[in-house]
Amino acid sequence: MKTDIAIIGGGAAGLSAALSAYDQNLNILVIEREKTLGGILNQCIHNGFGLHVFKEELTGPEYASRFIQKFHEQNIQFKLHTTVLDIKKNQDFELSISSLESGMETIHAKAVILSSGCYERTRGSIQIPGERPKGIMPAGSAQRYLNMEGYLVGKRIFILGSGDIGLIMARRMTLEGAKVLGVAEIMPYSNGLTRNIVQCLDDFDIPLYLSHTVTDIRGKDVLEGITIQKVDETFKPIPGTEIQFEVDTLLLSIGLVPDISLFESLNIEKSAITKSAIVNQFYETNIEGLFVCGNALHVHDLVDWVTEESEKAGRCAKNYILHGASEHRMEVSVKPGKHIRYIVPQKIDFSRKDAPVELSFRTTKKMESGIFYVYQNGVLIKSKKAKYIAPAEMEHLLIKPEDFISNDPIELILEEVKS
Amino acid sequence: MYDYIIIGAGIIGTTIARELSKYQVNILVLEKENDIANQQTTANSAIIHSGHDPKPGTLKARLCVRGNALYHTLEKELSIPLLKTGAFVVAHNPDEETLLHALEERAKINGVPETMILTGDKARQIEPNLTKHATMVLSLPTTMVTYPWEVAIAALENAIKNGAHFRKNSEVVKIQKNEDKFILTLKSGDTLETKHIISAAGIFSDEVAHMIEEHVSYQIQPRKGEYYVLDRKAVQLFSHVLYPLPTEKGKGVLIVPQVHGNILLGPTSTLVDTKEIASTTQVGMAQIKEDLKRLAETIPYELIIRSFAGVRASSSYDDFFIQESKEVKGFYHVAGIDSPGLTAAPAIAEYLVHEVIQIKNKPKEYFNPIRQKQKAFYSLSVDDRKRLIESDPRYGNIICKCEKITEAEIVSAIQGPTGVDTIKGIKKRARAGGGLCQGGYCESLVLKIIARETGKPLNSINYYAENTPILVQETKVKK
Repeated sequence: MKTDIAIIGGGAAGLSAALSAYDQNLNILVIEREKTLGGILNQCIHNGFGLHVFKEELTGPEYASRFIQKFHEQNIQFKLHTTVLDIKKNQDFELSISSLESGMETIHAKAVILSSGCYERTRGSIQIPGERPKGIMPAGSAQRYLNMEGYLVGKRIFILGSGDIGLIMARRMTLEGAKVLGVAEIMPYSNGLTRNIVQCLDDFDIPLYLSHTVTDIRGKDVLEGITIQKVDETFKPIPGTEIQFEVDTLLLSIGLVPDISLFESLNIEKSAITKSAIVNQFYETNIEGLFVCGNALHVHDLVDWVTEESEKAGRCAKNYILHGASEHRMEVSVKPGKHIRYIVPQKIDFSRKDAPVELSFRTTKKMESGIFYVYQNGVLIKSKKAKYIAPAEMEHLLIKPEDFISNDPIELILEEVKS
Repeated sequence: MYDYIIIGAGIIGTTIARELSKYQVNILVLEKENDIANQQTTANSAIIHSGHDPKPGTLKARLCVRGNALYHTLEKELSIPLLKTGAFVVAHNPDEETLLHALEERAKINGVPETMILTGDKARQIEPNLTKHATMVLSLPTTMVTYPWEVAIAALENAIKNGAHFRKNSEVVKIQKNEDKFILTLKSGDTLETKHIISAAGIFSDEVAHMIEEHVSYQIQPRKGEYYVLDRKAVQLFSHVLYPLPTEKGKGVLIVPQVHGNILLGPTSTLVDTKEIASTTQVGMAQIKEDLKRLAETIPYELIIRSFAGVRASSSYDDFFIQESKEVKGFYHVAGIDSPGLTAAPAIAEYLVHEVIQIKNKPKEYFNPIRQKQKAFYSLSVDDRKRLIESDPRYGNIICKCEKITEAEIVSAIQGPTGVDTIKGIKKRARAGGGLCQGGYCESLVLKIIARETGKPLNSINYYAENTPILVQETKVKK
């Protein structure tokens, strides 16, 4: 089968990319592993989605349904319950796909948008010491069991990590009758959105233990209890600060990692920080015609930003098919400076300077107020004031084509403003 | 009435069952847990050692070298994976080089073939990530790596095919000898009769022995080892098993390439008081990192996907303890099987049956040594994959995305001769959930397949042991 653009993943990112890539002259194919479109939004039955895109508060499934409806109206082709096994690049991209219904097929595509989302970090990835009973699970898995299958995974819960899924699950499991004893966060600040701390913990009197982590797990077959400990500035547990909890479940909300397992057979330049591809302002990787967006590119705090980013990626893929590649990429780096953890895109291609460049980035420090500065050749070319800056919340900054003074690399820094 | 009851379905009990099933005897294997290969066999280094380390003249030395050779037969007969890595033992200075030469001498006395001393530079040409401080290595080309629980499962499946019986969830709580037969009482209250008992109860073998002997001549001294597993992204980093020089505590902290591309780091070695608390610790992780500086230039610890700990059944006896009871005829001890137990297992079975028991029963005319296994879907060519899907469309349904494990493979793990209905049992057999996301995505899918195939409700499906359901309460139902 042949198509112009193959989009891997039919969640928030894939749907938005497909809708913006849509053109009567183009064939687009969306490949989704689940039996329905919508991705992880389907299990996020809480509200808070869409405040930026629709200026109203929707649940995850509602947010997804708005895109799914438009998607069907455009008659974009899609395959459900289908897994992409690998991608090879020869002249075209060759996607090897497999499903229960149709077996194995090869899809030939001129461009690929990878919008396959992310996966949750596990116990192994942070090496929590202790025994290995059942009852330790990523918060998103517990969410799937509860919201999709209708089962609680435990009655007495502790949550490690203050990521948003953990916070949402603290409230959700409480509402279903479980007792949530607390949330421990190794950092001195929360890793979740402020609104989630307030609405999911404070409103239910669930304690948040900052600068704490789980240092022991007890129980041979079934989880019986955990120990948390305060940590010092180097994240080492401080003796004498142990607190024990008798729980049957430990949910992990310790971070998400872009799912880029399909990169394996491609030689893609990767970032050590985002754990995904390095892209330019067109969301294109070093492999011509391969675009990445959404949580497969970097983990977002809000789905609204996933939508906006993926719409751009979809348009860029469409331009690539309709107008061809840039003849000579002139790529320079976008450097994260003081208090900046990472920036997407990591590169700007100055061979095409017609559109504004949007930087999406995360900071390394929580502060009441600060100013972002963008420098090129040591000259300030852009600045932006911001309030309530936190590593957990993504920041954005738009640079117009006329702001650039040369084709040299740029650097972004953050300065704290003390009141 | 059985001829032989084997207590314990680890690598030792299952390979003994297979060896015995070649003869016209009635065999039953009992396992106290709800799956095979659940203690030592599930948590060890997976190495088929060459036999360089055990003291010459011991059973360990003899059965290790013999076992190593027998694995080539098992590979063909039981379709078990065998990675022919070879190994380097690493020395860093003239003192250690002297010890390395002595170790080679020992290896030669033990009958280890093809050993060779290499300079550090030569070794680094072959193994570029070997520490630059290595001045000399002992090369042991016959060292290999297998997948331990698959060996145990394959051996038992083959024994069952040849007439052996198997009962899980069957803990023996009492043994009596009545004239020329034994009566075993299980925790459930059931009683079983047998002419002979073979105790392959691992870390619990002394407790089993105490049920029948007044004076047990050894004591189990459990020794815990912690391990860390790197994702298979690290696959090209090491091609050999890397050992430090052995000490009295054991073979030290190793680097072990695994058959599915992962790299295993460990084990630590600490004496512990209790047999069943297999916990990992911050101290253990720190020690592994410290010790491995002496083996490798770089180790990508950020690729760790899993950690685990196992308890080895070391004993107060200085060698494998494989004997008929001096007090009770017909009761056989196979105890104190710590390293190199996995390697020696098929040779232990051979030794027990032929030299200790000296079996007189006739061989079976139609013993079938072959256990076939469908090769993993992910490992096949596109054409072979398509052929499989034509035979069963469920091969087209990818359940575990990280390891590309299909629905058909999961169903076959449920329905196999040693079939399981637990999440971890499926992981052991089909490897669903063994990848980067550790089942975060596919666990709920596997759970539903188990429920469908066994006809059990979703909330009765266990993670592993009895009474470990993943789902504890249904919501939105009238109580």
